[in-house]
Amino acid sequence: MAVLAASASAPPNSRRQRPPRQRSTQSTRRQTRAAYLLITPFLIVFVAMLIVPLFYSGYLSLFATQLIGGQEFVGLANYLQALTDPSFLGGLGRVGLFLLIQVPIMLVLALFFALALDSSRVRGSKAARLAIFVPYAVPGVVATLMWGYLYGNDFGPIAQTFRAIGIDAPNLLANDNILGSMMNIVTWEFVGYNMIIMYAALRTIPTELFDAAEVDGASEWRVAWSIKIPAIRPAIMLTVIFSIIGSFQLFNEPNLLYRLAPNVIGNDFTPNQYAYTVAFVNQDVPYAAAIAFLLGLVIMVVSYVVQLSTQRKENLS
Amino acid sequence: MRTTARRTALSLGTIVVTAGLLLTGCTSPGSSTTDKTTVSQADIDKALDTPTKLTFWTWVPDIENEVALFEKKYPKIDVEVVNVGNGADEYTKLRTALKAGKGAPDVAQIEYQYLSSFRLTDSLADLTPYGAADLSDEYVEWVWNQVQTEDGSVWAIPQDSGPLGNLYRSDILAQAGITEAPTTWAQYAEDAATIKAATGSYISNMPGNDPGQMVGLFWQAGAKPFGYDGDKTVKVDIASDETKKVVDYWNDLIQKDLVSVDPDFNDSFYQSLASGKYAGWVTAAWAPVFLQGTAANTSGKWTAAKIPQWNEGDDVSGNWGGSSDVVLKTSENPIAAYELAKFINNDPESTLKFATDQFLFPTKTDTLADPAFVDQEAEFYGGQKVNELFAGVSDTVDVSFEWLPFMDYVYSSYNETLGKAIADKTDLSTALQAWDDEVTAYAKKQGFTVE
Amino acid sequence: MSAPTVSAPTPTAIDAPRASTPRAKRHRRQIMREGRRSTLLTVLLWACAAYFLLPLLWLLIASTKSNADLFSSFGFWFGKDFNLFTNIAQVFTFKDGVYLRWVLNTVVYAGVSAFGASLLATMAGYGFAKYRFPGGRAIFSVVLGSIMIPLTALAIPTYLLFSSAGLTNTPFAVIIPSLVSPFGVYLMRVYAAESVPDSLIEAARMDGAGELRIFWQVALRQLGPGVVTVFLFSLVATWNNYFLPLIMLNTSDLYPLTVGLAQWQATAAAGSGSQALFSTVITGSLVSIIPLVIAFLFLQRYWQSGLGTGAVKG
Repeated sequence: MAVLAASASAPPNSRRQRPPRQRSTQSTRRQTRAAYLLITPFLIVFVAMLIVPLFYSGYLSLFATQLIGGQEFVGLANYLQALTDPSFLGGLGRVGLFLLIQVPIMLVLALFFALALDSSRVRGSKAARLAIFVPYAVPGVVATLMWGYLYGNDFGPIAQTFRAIGIDAPNLLANDNILGSMMNIVTWEFVGYNMIIMYAALRTIPTELFDAAEVDGASEWRVAWSIKIPAIRPAIMLTVIFSIIGSFQLFNEPNLLYRLAPNVIGNDFTPNQYAYTVAFVNQDVPYAAAIAFLLGLVIMVVSYVVQLSTQRKENLS
Repeated sequence: MRTTARRTALSLGTIVVTAGLLLTGCTSPGSSTTDKTTVSQADIDKALDTPTKLTFWTWVPDIENEVALFEKKYPKIDVEVVNVGNGADEYTKLRTALKAGKGAPDVAQIEYQYLSSFRLTDSLADLTPYGAADLSDEYVEWVWNQVQTEDGSVWAIPQDSGPLGNLYRSDILAQAGITEAPTTWAQYAEDAATIKAATGSYISNMPGNDPGQMVGLFWQAGAKPFGYDGDKTVKVDIASDETKKVVDYWNDLIQKDLVSVDPDFNDSFYQSLASGKYAGWVTAAWAPVFLQGTAANTSGKWTAAKIPQWNEGDDVSGNWGGSSDVVLKTSENPIAAYELAKFINNDPESTLKFATDQFLFPTKTDTLADPAFVDQEAEFYGGQKVNELFAGVSDTVDVSFEWLPFMDYVYSSYNETLGKAIADKTDLSTALQAWDDEVTAYAKKQGFTVE
Repeated sequence: MSAPTVSAPTPTAIDAPRASTPRAKRHRRQIMREGRRSTLLTVLLWACAAYFLLPLLWLLIASTKSNADLFSSFGFWFGKDFNLFTNIAQVFTFKDGVYLRWVLNTVVYAGVSAFGASLLATMAGYGFAKYRFPGGRAIFSVVLGSIMIPLTALAIPTYLLFSSAGLTNTPFAVIIPSLVSPFGVYLMRVYAAESVPDSLIEAARMDGAGELRIFWQVALRQLGPGVVTVFLFSLVATWNNYFLPLIMLNTSDLYPLTVGLAQWQATAAAGSGSQALFSTVITGSLVSIIPLVIAFLFLQRYWQSGLGTGAVKG
């Protein structure tokens, strides 16, 4: 099932749809009022912190700004410009590549760890679980700082190790390798997080479901493949959707690694970083807003397509 | 907790309301009324005797010590020193605060090349009404030209500078049989080959992420890549004969692998300075003490020299770095703010403290001649009087170098074009032209007339 | 500008008994499995675990080095001098001990934000799950869709709004935006739908309890584990946030650890007047992650049972 869209459209508990007949309109009204009371505090902050800035930003994106001459209404010109802007498209391509390579690796690893830990076949599994999860508690600032040192071309321990065994050390911060190095950092940070989601889901599968299969002599792998994984499909979908959003919005890691490899990363490495540069360095806030809006649109479309395609697969099978 | 909650709720209300206001009309910049009337001594005395709170944004470490001297002299003035980040980080914050119309400081540290970008947005107070023009004789000429425009207005008080010089490891050069520092660039290139062959060290590093250094070298070569008339006309001449000469020169060294192309000022760069990967560093007057702190294990092995020359017998340098202190137009206490900017950069005790404690390279002529400064012998440089050497260099910097009013973009574009070519070791002169093109296109797009 | 993966709270059923598995049976199964430990799997998994721990090991070792050793000794072994305590002292005394101030700020920002975010999310999630009201579904869709907004789109407008309300450079500028957790609302909605039986609410109504009283006194008890989870993950999100405080705060005394450490690191690249603080930054980084790691260790026991049921089946 599609995690986000489906839950947004279908009430999670269908019993609610048939209210007891004897309920009076007065109590319905009272309940409606209570519902509004409950969601209002959240909505106020939500509107003030997300919706209002978003509309303001959308409004700004319709203008062109110049250092000389000020602002001028230009309609959708900024959007048209972005669609042919090599910096924006290049960044989009890079995060697309990131999405295609890093996300599958990260999620397969997370799934493997979750299944391994769930199978109770690993000694010291509690400690291993914590070890894998701990990077999630490390701020991105610190994670990038650490990996930056480790990657160091001249004196980083990775390069030192390579040299010690007599192999030419690869420059992990060079053009060809930087995307891979960044993928490694993001994988390091978030495998544990995704693993915990999947692991939590695995713990909720009633054992009856696979005890029988195991008695029948099915291998652990077979049980995992045909019983466990299908059973936690929604959780896996959830991690997929969040990873898609996370990849497209990549900002912290390139922004912090910029210091270490300024000419390699550039300030348009990811669309989000480009939007930041346009807004704060080029001082073109309207254009930055247009880029950010287009990026949001891409995220929405991709997430939706992924959800639809998995739904169709489900319907076919 | 309850009051906190109420305040939060109130603020949220304000946000929603002001959001409406913002949606209907953008904040307009304040009208520009330049008040040229002179402030009288009585006004100044009164301002300095009135309890006032000033905010000062700067990233100079321990500048609290100089500010304390000011506060001691004018006890009614209370200065809050705030470090919001180095250079570009500070400007970003300053611009956002100015755009919002609230939260900007009274006094701020700004590097010379960024002054015109803040003049463009009409954010700086003209300091001539407070008597700043009278200070012109007290500073090195080229520095003063950076803060005063042709119409006579003064926009900042100079704090420090960075005339170019050459620091090198005498022990590594000696290993390669070189006993004297090269005096010309041609000789420098020859030495580079000798050193690389004999020791494996690079004569220097040429980072692809430091437009300031490259522009300093342009400056030394007599190039005038930028210009701004203070209104709507800019000059972009990045790809000129002089700049081509510089990039072709470095292109050659890079292609022959005689200089390294590591990004500077990150940990790997410091490691390389400490380890002897670099036998020298084409750098500025603030570097000697900086190096002393990061490469302590190589103490005594370094020597400072003048920058190599393009023509034998010349004595010309450029500048890399340095800052000034401005008074923001939004300041409610401009007189006190001006006095603060002036005092810390003009009072002899304060300027000497900058020079000897924080190692900012002085811009004031009397500090540059002060024996307490010039006679300092640095053990790190084998007892050499490094300050004396650089004090001499200060006079050899070309006095009429200008900037564009959008250097943030110019430098960011450098990293994408010329800087990238350096890092990737591709042809520099093509990249130089690309940089020129990008900057010209940006200037036109921003509504400037480009010469 | 944390990726949503960072701020998304997750339900977990760590150490929880499997749903609907009778205790005795689970125990039997556990014993049956004891004998089936796989050496291959153990070695494989621990090799991977080593990968996750290695950078932290490096951080620990690097914290014992002086600036000079940092650049001249092998990364995974100790340097000439053992400087850990000197470094820690330096971290806590540099700039009049501003580091301790940053620790306190971080604790306050993260604590208050997490408390507020979980409260708002719980109320709203319960409201969406247990009531049908005009516009409910539409509003919920909007809330959920907002996860996809790239935050750079909001950075400048949000700053301008806060500035006009006079809230920039105050703790509120960091805390208020952190109160919004759309995913927390989603999670609590799913969790409330699963874990608070309608019959329980109906029974309370029969007893004459008002709707809000039902929420506070009946439902909240059932929602406990969900709330704890949303709290924990909001805590991490705010603790690790870098971008928001970076734009909103100017005064060093208000910084959280992330911004403070990044600024110390940048001091080294200041050109004129710069200071190389590498060992201080590294040791400061080490100290900064210890509280969260301990919190996770300690609170592991509290990410309690059944959570997976509702949340992950969403």
